[in-house]
Amino acid sequence: MKILLIEDDPETAEHVCDALRAQGHEVDESRDGVAGLATARDGHYAALIVDRMLPGLDGLSLVKQLRAEGSQIPVLFLTTMSGIDDRVAGLNGGGDDYLAKPFALVELLARVNAITRRGDARQPVTLRAGDLEMDLIRRAVHRGGKLVELQPQEFKLLEYMLRNEGRVVTRSMLLENVWELHFDPRTNIVETHMSRLRTKMDRGYDTELIHTIRGNGYILRAD
Amino acid sequence: MRIRAFHTEGFRIAAIFVAIFALSAAVFTIITLVIVNQEFQDQIVQFANADIASVKDGYRTEGEGEAREVIRQRMAAPGASDFFLLERGTNTKLEGNLAVMAPRTGILTLPYPGNAAGHAILGVGSFVAPDLYVFSGSDLYHARLARRRILRTLAWVFAGALILAVLGGMAVSRGFLRRTDDIVRTCRAIMAGNLASRIPVRGTQDELDRLCETINAMLDRIAALMENLGQITNDIAHDLRTPVTHLRHRLERARSQAATVQDYDQALEAAIAASDDILALFGALLRIAQIEGGARRAAFAPFDLALLLAQLCEVFGPVAEDAGHRLNPAIRGPVSILGDRELLTQMFSNLIENAIIHTPAGTQVLVGLDREGDDAVVTVSDDGPGVPPEEHQKLFQRFYRREASRTRPGYGLGLALVSAIAELHGARVKIHSRAAAGFSIVLRIPLSQS
Repeated sequence: MKILLIEDDPETAEHVCDALRAQGHEVDESRDGVAGLATARDGHYAALIVDRMLPGLDGLSLVKQLRAEGSQIPVLFLTTMSGIDDRVAGLNGGGDDYLAKPFALVELLARVNAITRRGDARQPVTLRAGDLEMDLIRRAVHRGGKLVELQPQEFKLLEYMLRNEGRVVTRSMLLENVWELHFDPRTNIVETHMSRLRTKMDRGYDTELIHTIRGNGYILRAD
Repeated sequence: MRIRAFHTEGFRIAAIFVAIFALSAAVFTIITLVIVNQEFQDQIVQFANADIASVKDGYRTEGEGEAREVIRQRMAAPGASDFFLLERGTNTKLEGNLAVMAPRTGILTLPYPGNAAGHAILGVGSFVAPDLYVFSGSDLYHARLARRRILRTLAWVFAGALILAVLGGMAVSRGFLRRTDDIVRTCRAIMAGNLASRIPVRGTQDELDRLCETINAMLDRIAALMENLGQITNDIAHDLRTPVTHLRHRLERARSQAATVQDYDQALEAAIAASDDILALFGALLRIAQIEGGARRAAFAPFDLALLLAQLCEVFGPVAEDAGHRLNPAIRGPVSILGDRELLTQMFSNLIENAIIHTPAGTQVLVGLDREGDDAVVTVSDDGPGVPPEEHQKLFQRFYRREASRTRPGYGLGLALVSAIAELHGARVKIHSRAAAGFSIVLRIPLSQS
């Protein structure tokens, strides 16, 4: 995947580039907003990673400009601002996701993966993985033809996992997208619900679909 | 030397009023003079007409002799017309105190005998018989005198009023200046570092008072923010030392004691986790400061509080259960409020997590919502060990941690955040708790915010 990183801090840029390249991505870099905008226009990138604060042209204006020109390219904002409003402003301004510095690399990689596959945003009626089937209309889950009874919270969690099949999702991605919690809770909300979900739809079956990834993530895989 | 009072708004207003007053006084004076003049002339003409009627009457009844007698009598009488003339043809004066003249009839103005300055004669001329002409008239000088007297009186009145207006204007502007001086002096004092300085308010509830009160309120707000900022700086300096010191110890220990790659690996993991904690602490502090700054009010929107609390109970129910607690919702809704959904979510999560974390297994936690008057009342309570009343106020301070919870992870910022978010929403927070008698925190959120 070809990714453009627009980030003025050389240390962060190097850190991010190394991680992305280690994952097999091709990364171009830009250090200021104006040059970044030009590069983003010319190259055919699969995703943009844009710092909010940039010399020349700030990240938000840059993305707004791209969106105004009709670009659909997935954008992940990076920021040092811990401001709560900044996330909303970033998403409203055309960003697909938002990550506050400092961040763990696993978090960055998971989020870049998530936004780049958002392309096929068709709304399917049924989500499938292996012998697991989720009927979104009747809100029913079957595994191997057998009904799995889920609580609403567990259903939402499984739906998110299925929509991101084959991709690592992090704890904070789950908190934000499943429970709309935009802070770090002191209790193990994710672990509790994940464990209950897995007990109901995974444990005791021949193959387990949901796997724990070291470094605070999960993946649903049907191979 | 420039007189400052002349350059103030108060004086300008006074000057405009004086000008309007002067203009209207001038118009009034002119009208008065015209009326007085007219009145005088009318009276002279009326007297003259009466004289002529008498002369004619005398002539008709008893002839020329009687006409002359009438004139003589009238000339001698006080308060009658001043001048008379009875002449035959154009050159024979029969009676009167005027020289002969060419007869003209109607209302006439004649030059005064000897052309005395300021004098003129106004009167009426008429024919008694075809060759007998009579004139009666009076000196206009009296009218002129009266006009002058009126003019002089009005001039004095006007001058007096003008002086009063100017003095009044100056007094008003002096007061205005004194008060703007107060404002300037206060601002200078604050600039010089005396941040507690405030503009004196006179209590008259006028515009200047309102301005001063508003400026004072603004200064209070700024002072509160500054104090808050100073407090945060202090807190950070004191309370970040501990985790940073721990991190340093851990790294030092790794350098001196780690023998294998795994040891180093472990030490690095621990160091990363510790620095994450420190960064999280920074984030929490910044968030509190931001909320206390009130910058979040723009994100307010209406939403159903009952729905939010029910969802949180669904999210935290299993968590509580796993910790051996029970989470019981007692939510009566819908209750629509105006607020920042994201922040309120964090606030209620915080309270529920407190009830789960700081109580022993087996504790019952209750999340209640009800409407009382114009308030939404949210209660998060537990039947755990409770907190003695003397500690209640301290619970909301940043970095305050109870002895019992010192060993648990956390920095004592939870209730400080709750307090900041509650204040942003105009909510009142109250703790009801005694040692060994449960803990209950009650939030009253006004449904309509001003």
